[in-house]
Amino acid sequence: MREERTKRLLTWLGITFMVGFCLVPFFFMIIVSLSRDPTFLSSQEVKYLMTLRNYGHILRAGSLHFPAYLRNSLIISALVALFTTFVAGLAAYAFSRYRFPGRRLIPLGVLGISMFPQISVVGYLFKLMTGLGWINTYNALIFPYIAWALPLALWIVLSYFMQIPQELDRAALVDGASRFQTLYKIIFPLALPGLFSTALLVFIFSFNEFLFALMLTTDQAARTIPVGIALFQGLHGEIPWGHIMAASTISSIPLVLLTVGFQRYIIQDLTKGALKG
Amino acid sequence: MNQGLKAKGAWGTYGFLLPLFLFICGFILLPVAGTFWTSLFRDVAFLPKKFLGLANYIRLLKDPNFWRSARFTLLFAFGSVALEVGLGTIFALLLNEKLPLRGWLRAAVLVPWAIPIAISARVWELVYNYNYGLANYLLIKLGVSSGPINWLGSGWGAFLSLLLADVWKTTPFVTIILLAGLQAIPEELYQQAKVDGTNFYQRFLKITLPLLKPVLLVAILFRTIDALRIFDLVYVLTHGGPGGMTTSLSLYGYKFFLSSDFGYGSAVSVACFLIAFSLSILYLRMGKFGGD
Repeated sequence: MREERTKRLLTWLGITFMVGFCLVPFFFMIIVSLSRDPTFLSSQEVKYLMTLRNYGHILRAGSLHFPAYLRNSLIISALVALFTTFVAGLAAYAFSRYRFPGRRLIPLGVLGISMFPQISVVGYLFKLMTGLGWINTYNALIFPYIAWALPLALWIVLSYFMQIPQELDRAALVDGASRFQTLYKIIFPLALPGLFSTALLVFIFSFNEFLFALMLTTDQAARTIPVGIALFQGLHGEIPWGHIMAASTISSIPLVLLTVGFQRYIIQDLTKGALKG
Repeated sequence: MNQGLKAKGAWGTYGFLLPLFLFICGFILLPVAGTFWTSLFRDVAFLPKKFLGLANYIRLLKDPNFWRSARFTLLFAFGSVALEVGLGTIFALLLNEKLPLRGWLRAAVLVPWAIPIAISARVWELVYNYNYGLANYLLIKLGVSSGPINWLGSGWGAFLSLLLADVWKTTPFVTIILLAGLQAIPEELYQQAKVDGTNFYQRFLKITLPLLKPVLLVAILFRTIDALRIFDLVYVLTHGGPGGMTTSLSLYGYKFFLSSDFGYGSAVSVACFLIAFSLSILYLRMGKFGGD
């Protein structure tokens, strides 16, 4: 079987390329973050010395505010994940359990809305948040994030709710439970894995967001990780690569671990969000 | 359907949907409408607000920097999506093979997806560094290039650098979607074709590609719309440079907001919106066809 052998060879070449392509920049980030001199590739004889100094520096040094950015990102993303999943759950209940005009079209329209470019709202949001006095507060980010994460969250939660047989909650309604009771006593527990993975995806989305955070925050009181790391500059115009890569590694590792740990869910959800439309 | 439940339902429906509508209207639809409205005004710092009608749009049509941004954004979107779909198809085919450690391979592919764009942009910024970046180090060590290349210093270099960084970050997404499409193709089709004596390439063209087409279209449209609004990567990696050559539409609009020219910035944003909007309509249309 010559064809089989060529195919096996090509497959392994492809796999090697694929894994290298995806992981080399990631490992480069970690290697630089652990280096004593981030310019180690410039000398003729590459001399690499390992140190944890960069990590100590960004976790301690007050002027870089990295711990503050991390705290802001974690709090904002967690709150957004929680509220978005809850609001999406309420709406998905109505879309999957009630008959009313638009129950098919509205979710489609909402998905369409999520394709709007963020730039088309950010100027107005800036004025709105200035008017509310929310610039540089958590609120300035939490509210828009929830709105922008809702479309995808709605589609994913909806697909999980559709899989729960209607007889289950109808029986509870006949027994005299209220709509809201059926939702949180029957549907939510049954769809718990789905709700959890939705929250995870929304968390990653919020942690990633850049444009709103850039426009609506001004300093470490509310600034998030991506903007903080993007604006990291050295004191004398020299870019502190060791510190930047250490901060990047600390911020990325939890996301990578979550993604790898829950990859089955994430793959399912991403596919649902994209293909059900 | 029980009549009683239905009657009681009318109010309940709106109650359950109300938070969704409030968020979507308050922080997406209203701001979009506000941006349209603002684009009709002179709205800059230190001058009274003044209604201009379509004057901002006329300025837009005559603005060479706007056209340069539009051209860059479209070129970038089509270039990156083409590469991502090509590479994503290959990765998906590889991951669809029965291989040992398949779960781990899939996990490796997801790593770039998990890292925030702003962070990966900084990593790429270091990779492209002229003096001590990984790109020049590897190219020289492998003998591909005799001297270091100034990646971010020339228009084409910056364009290619952005393209590669974007392909790295978003190919995982395309791969995952296409993998789902591949897994939906029944194995018997391939078995039958093998019995008929076709080779791998023929099977790909005759079976895989036609059956994967709906999923491919979805992935292409999703990614195109996303690529058209690119901001983070450009902002961090090239700052729109050199000389404004890689300024995307979103970044161009942002620069006017930054200098408090909300009227013209809004007009740029509306242009960006209209491009993405026409594509989302297209997407929804195709989505409906796919559902039938």
